Amino acid sequence: MATEVDPAGIPAEASGARRPLPDDELVEMLHMLKLSRYFDERMEALYRQGRLPGAIYSGRGQEGTHVGAAWALRPDDSLFPTHRDLTAQLTKGLDLKRVMAQFWARIDGYTRGRDGNSHIGDWYGNKTFTVMSHLPIAYPVAVGAALAYKLKGEPNVALAICGDGATSNGRWHEAINTSAVHRLPVVWVVNNNQFAYSTPNALEFAIPTIAERAVAYGIPGLRVDGGDVLEVFEATRAAVERARGGEGPTLIEAVSLRWRGHAGHDPAKYMPDEMLQEYMANHDPVRNFEEYLLSEGVVTKDDIDAIVQRVEAEFDEGYEFALASPFPEPGDATKGLWVEDGYWTSEPGRGGGTEAG
Amino acid sequence: MATTAKVEAGAAGHGAEPRGKRGDDGQATYLIAIAEALWEEMERDERVYMLGEDIGVYGGAFKVTEGFLDRFGGNRVIDTPIAEEAIVGMAVGSAMEGLRPVAEFQYADFMSSGFDSISTVLGRYHYRSGVPLPVVLRGPSGGYVRASSFHSVNPEPWFAYGGGIKIVAPAFPADAKGLMKSAVRDDNPVLYLEHKWIYRRIKEQVPTDPDFLVPIGEAEVKRAGTDVSIVTYGALVHKSLEAAENLAQRGISAEVVDLRTVHPIDEETVLSSIAKTSRALVVSESYRFVGIGAEVGATIAEKAFEHLDAPVTRLSPPNMPVPFSPTLEDAFLPQVADIERAVEELSAW
Repeated sequence: MATEVDPAGIPAEASGARRPLPDDELVEMLHMLKLSRYFDERMEALYRQGRLPGAIYSGRGQEGTHVGAAWALRPDDSLFPTHRDLTAQLTKGLDLKRVMAQFWARIDGYTRGRDGNSHIGDWYGNKTFTVMSHLPIAYPVAVGAALAYKLKGEPNVALAICGDGATSNGRWHEAINTSAVHRLPVVWVVNNNQFAYSTPNALEFAIPTIAERAVAYGIPGLRVDGGDVLEVFEATRAAVERARGGEGPTLIEAVSLRWRGHAGHDPAKYMPDEMLQEYMANHDPVRNFEEYLLSEGVVTKDDIDAIVQRVEAEFDEGYEFALASPFPEPGDATKGLWVEDGYWTSEPGRGGGTEAG
Repeated sequence: MATTAKVEAGAAGHGAEPRGKRGDDGQATYLIAIAEALWEEMERDERVYMLGEDIGVYGGAFKVTEGFLDRFGGNRVIDTPIAEEAIVGMAVGSAMEGLRPVAEFQYADFMSSGFDSISTVLGRYHYRSGVPLPVVLRGPSGGYVRASSFHSVNPEPWFAYGGGIKIVAPAFPADAKGLMKSAVRDDNPVLYLEHKWIYRRIKEQVPTDPDFLVPIGEAEVKRAGTDVSIVTYGALVHKSLEAAENLAQRGISAEVVDLRTVHPIDEETVLSSIAKTSRALVVSESYRFVGIGAEVGATIAEKAFEHLDAPVTRLSPPNMPVPFSPTLEDAFLPQVADIERAVEELSAW
């Protein structure tokens, strides 16, 4: 059940209606959840085998937040995610093949090899902001996109995601406050996975929930279960439509647990094992949703098998595509800083070969 | 959004009453020239809008935007909370959505309060994503006004270092107008530094052609000379010109090169001046260590070595806070007499 914290500070229970989407969409939602989980596990395995360069930032355990929030957006709505939120970008429509080419530093990656891993975005294709590390650096930018929608009279909404740790940062306040003052069409999602690298919630803020901070900005705040993709979806959809209707921003805190370390190198020994076991057993957004769809008769075991096969094929296709894509040409390293050199409006060189030095 | 085709009434005589106006002689101060440029660009292109602290009802701390709210309305002249990261972020996000924001910083000093969004997002986003950010950040910079440590800063080296942001710092009203119009029309981020010592002190005839532009990236020789080149920008252009006039009376011919754009630097104009004079004095209000003057000096030493008859010399303040008391500030910042002395020493080689 979503808990709403209204501007007057009075918690209220939100709707818990099920089946908020047509069955075919629910099946696609399950596909996205399973694809994200499979991608996350396979990429970690490749990383540990030394077959994946750079870094990985697992979103495992938080797929309900990512899929649920991004599912509530229309194609023209914009998404401002963090490195943890690759699943939200996939949900928004990014091509897995190009995502994987980015991880392997290839020219077909969305940043043409200029950035790696989930520091990705596809503004012109899927309206997603290219991720940056300085969290929550995308929050103020989302204010700007929302401002543009308001000034131009366009019925679009900006949605930004950050983690629990990023809420300690000053610009988090600057962004939410400014969006509230100007009543902008933006939705603020906090993926509270309970650890900022190694730092637990209790060392990040001295209040029980992040959602209740909304009261201080004069906007609604909701706390939802990130293990329940439909709960996240419904809360976000309501917030998105509220924003679209000119009623201003909403803060949504989606609670889950980061099952893995901050990045691939981090064994997360600081995380209490019983906490991890509890979340894996009872708050697994992928398994919970799969069991729910089975129990509702929306899918059969055979349907699940078909989804698994599809997911594996998509990953394998992406992997082959990534490794076949050439590296960027060294001579292009300094191009594309300024608009006028035309690098980004022309086809890039593809002569970089597929073997790195 | 469609762009409007023409400027309603040209530069000086637009219909609604703006901020300060030109004098009866048609001359415009530097401040008025900047306001005219903004006004004309707002008239020309409805994608252009302004945001910042106290720019609407109050008209800006220095009154650059006085009258804009009445003419263009609250959707295009937006008063923001005191939140510099948010201001830069708003500019970036709205630029991604096709607008052309001009964000005012009340003082250039406070660009440090938005530093992360400027250096991390504004300067690095296009290189990584291919999304142009036609954003202008403008604000009053520089000293000589007894404003002490937090209202006298020259932030240009902070942002030149990271790359991806053009930085202009005009010294004359006409250049100020032409560069502002170029900045607003540029598809890259531009940091536009307005020297507050110049605002109401310097005036001249300024073109009224609504398409009068001064290209970003071009320096200009403001006084021709043969013995020593003074390469400078901002308020120190005026102090260098005064020094050159005094030196001329003592038989020393100094050439004054106004960089106008400090990143990227117009190497060609600078180096051709050195080829003519064989002596270089780089005068900069940004600090000596890692300042703009250091970079210009290094470029001259590297690329004009065969022309030089004397060491490249720098005149710039030490890397310390700008002090308040007149005796301290005058000792701290380069003065006309300091420039004259440095030129005399160079010309003795």
